[in-house]
Parts: sequence; C-alpha cells; structure tokens
Amino acid sequence: MKRGAVVFACLASLMAFGQNPGYQQDTHWRVPEEAAARKNPLLSRPEAAAGGRKLFLKNCAECHQPDGSGMEKKHSADFHLPMVQEQSDGSLFWKLTNGNSSRGMPSFSKLPELQRWQLVLYIRTLKD
Amino acid sequence: MPKNCGTLLLAFACLTCLPARAQESPFFVTYTHHMEEPGNLDLEVSSTTGVPRAGQQRYIAPYMELEYGVTARWTSELYLEGQSSADDSTVFTGWRFENRYKPLSREHWINPVLYLEYESLNEASRIQKEIEGGGPDLTSRNGLLTSEHAHELETKVILSSDYHDWNISENFIAAKNFSQSEGVEFGYSIGVSRPLATLASGNECRFCRENFVAGVEMYGGLGSTLGFGVHDTAHYIAPVISWGISDNSTLRFSPGFGLSHESNPVLIRVGYAYEFQGMGDRLARLFGRKQ
Repeated sequence: MKRGAVVFACLASLMAFGQNPGYQQDTHWRVPEEAAARKNPLLSRPEAAAGGRKLFLKNCAECHQPDGSGMEKKHSADFHLPMVQEQSDGSLFWKLTNGNSSRGMPSFSKLPELQRWQLVLYIRTLKD
Repeated sequence: MPKNCGTLLLAFACLTCLPARAQESPFFVTYTHHMEEPGNLDLEVSSTTGVPRAGQQRYIAPYMELEYGVTARWTSELYLEGQSSADDSTVFTGWRFENRYKPLSREHWINPVLYLEYESLNEASRIQKEIEGGGPDLTSRNGLLTSEHAHELETKVILSSDYHDWNISENFIAAKNFSQSEGVEFGYSIGVSRPLATLASGNECRFCRENFVAGVEMYGGLGSTLGFGVHDTAHYIAPVISWGISDNSTLRFSPGFGLSHESNPVLIRVGYAYEFQGMGDRLARLFGRKQ
C-alpha cells in the first residue's frame, strides 16, 4: 500500500513537472472589447474541432504540451484552467492572432482565419 | 569509421529526432511580416536556375539558408551561396547575414518590418534573392566576376497585410556596395498569396488543398542614385506555390518570367525547407544552461 502511494506520488510529480497549474495571465495582454465580442463562425460545426486538434498539435503543442496543460518554464497557459476557459471565443482568437511577444508567444496570423477559429473550437474541448 | 563521421551522424540523428513543423511563405523574394517562431530553426536548400537569352550564360545558383527565430519579433538568417555556369566554372559566391525586426507587437492593417543585411559576395552571385540596381551581370565569365568583391549593406522596408486569407506584401530595397562607387541601389518586390483551402481537415493528408499556398510575386531593380528608374534593369513576374509535404518540411516552386531585356527569359526557383522546433532550448541545454 505504502509502495503504491510512493509510486502514485512519483507519477503525479512527473506529470506536474511539465504543466503550468499556477499559470498567471499577463495583465498587459488586454483584448479590445470589439475583438472579444466576436463569435466563432464554426460554432455550428463542432466536427471542425478535429481539424483544430491537428492544428493544435502542429502549432501549439511545443509550448502548451499535447494535452494543453502548458509549461511553467515557457509561461504558457494551461488551457484546462477556468481563467482560460472563461474567456470569450473572440478573446482567444485575438490572442492567438496577435501573440504576446513579451512572453514569447508568437503571432499565428499566418494561419487562415478559419483555422484560427478551429483552434479556438478545439481549445474549448479541453475544458475540464 | 572516422571519429568525425561518427560525430556528424550523431548530430544528424539528434537533428532529425527533433520535433519540427513547416509553415513557409511561398515567396522566394518577397518577405512578409510573419517571423520565424522563437527558438525554431529553419534550414532551407534552394536554387535559382537561369534560362539564357542570346549572349547570356545558362547557370544554376544553389544556396543554403539558416533562419532562426531569436524572439517573437526578431529573426536572423545566414545564407551561403554558390553558382555554376554552363561552359564555365562552379564557384562559391559568398555569404549574407540578415536580421528582420518587427517594431509593432500587434497585428495591424499594414505591418511594417525592418530589415538589415550584410553581404560579403562576389559579382558572380546569381541567386537573386532580391534585385537591386540593374540586376546581376549575366554575360561575363566567372573568372572575371569572382575577382570583384561586393561588400554590401542592404536595408529593406517590408510592409505586409493579411486581408481575410490573402497576404499582400511589398518590399522596398536600398543597398550600398562599399567596394565600388555604384551609389545607393534600389529595388522592389511585391507579392500576393493565399492558401488553397482555409479549413483544416480532421485527418492527416498530404495532398489536401490546405497544404498548398499559391500566389504571384513581381520583383526588379529601380536603378541607383546615379540613375534612378526602370531603364536597363531586370524585372520578373513569378507565380509561386508551396506544398507542406510533411509536418516538418515544405517544397516551393516558382517559374519566373523576365519582363525586360536585362532579365533571363525564365528563372526557375526550387526550394526545400525543414524546420526544427525548440532548437534554441536544445542548444542552450547542450551548452549547460539550466532549465
């Protein structure tokens, strides 16, 4: 029993090593109201999230990890956290379009607009 | 096996096991405001092949490009280039080191990027990554051209816009060769491109339209402070296409068509790029930085 607890503790600490549960948002990274109010044009097409997952693994997983839990050393967001999930679709779209160079987050404006909305759609599926 | 070969193989194995991704602009000449992602290294091998007019030489000018994202707004590149002419010789034509800096942190209607490049080349250079002044000498032999060294500083103002899914970019070039009295030379390039599909499919596919970006670019020289204008300068119009052949590599192709007597009638460009993610972190670890 005791050995099981030790193994569990080791596994839990290994999983936590790359995550960023203590993620704090950059307070200077403010989304304009107009942008925050934008609606996701793919809301009626939930199947598009599968393409979003592919794009996520290709473009975002390096810093946010394949499971979207973020990385402390890169200050990258844990997408499971309420502070991320409570943001509007428009806010998430704006953030990945513009990036945040002060925290090393590049702009993904090179992706077509619909693909960025697909990413937002996929990020929504990470909600705990 | 010699020790050096072992080291090289090990280095290659390390490089190829890195995660990688490619998202290349289809342009060969025109720069957009999209920068290399921080810590990523893009390795590209390309060539420019010139189909000659009467009196010109047929040539192929291969070059290798190492592009590194220093920060989200600063990208550096190193080029090594050569040239081989039919019935003449194959020569190393020099190197270039360029830096691009995006002064604005947000996306705007027009996004400016500042560009500064140092070139240590000889006059046999024909990769034509840009055309300034009148364009390269396409008639003289390599023996003569390699003896003329160009020690050049080049600046560009890059303006680029993403309008819906179109990218529209304009580059204005000014270059000064400190080895010769050519004045300040000018050039331009403009380009428009768009992905063939804007929605990503859910499954992995290599021939899907979403993996292709097509466009057209136009570039040429604008003379110099000694004689500004399009007279006696080379100009090209070139359709471009890029294909993301895997998650980590892109193939680009562009047939350019000469628009003036100083141009080659046809300029064929081919490029293959491979992108390594997180190269900065790995190098830092290699040199002992604590994570």
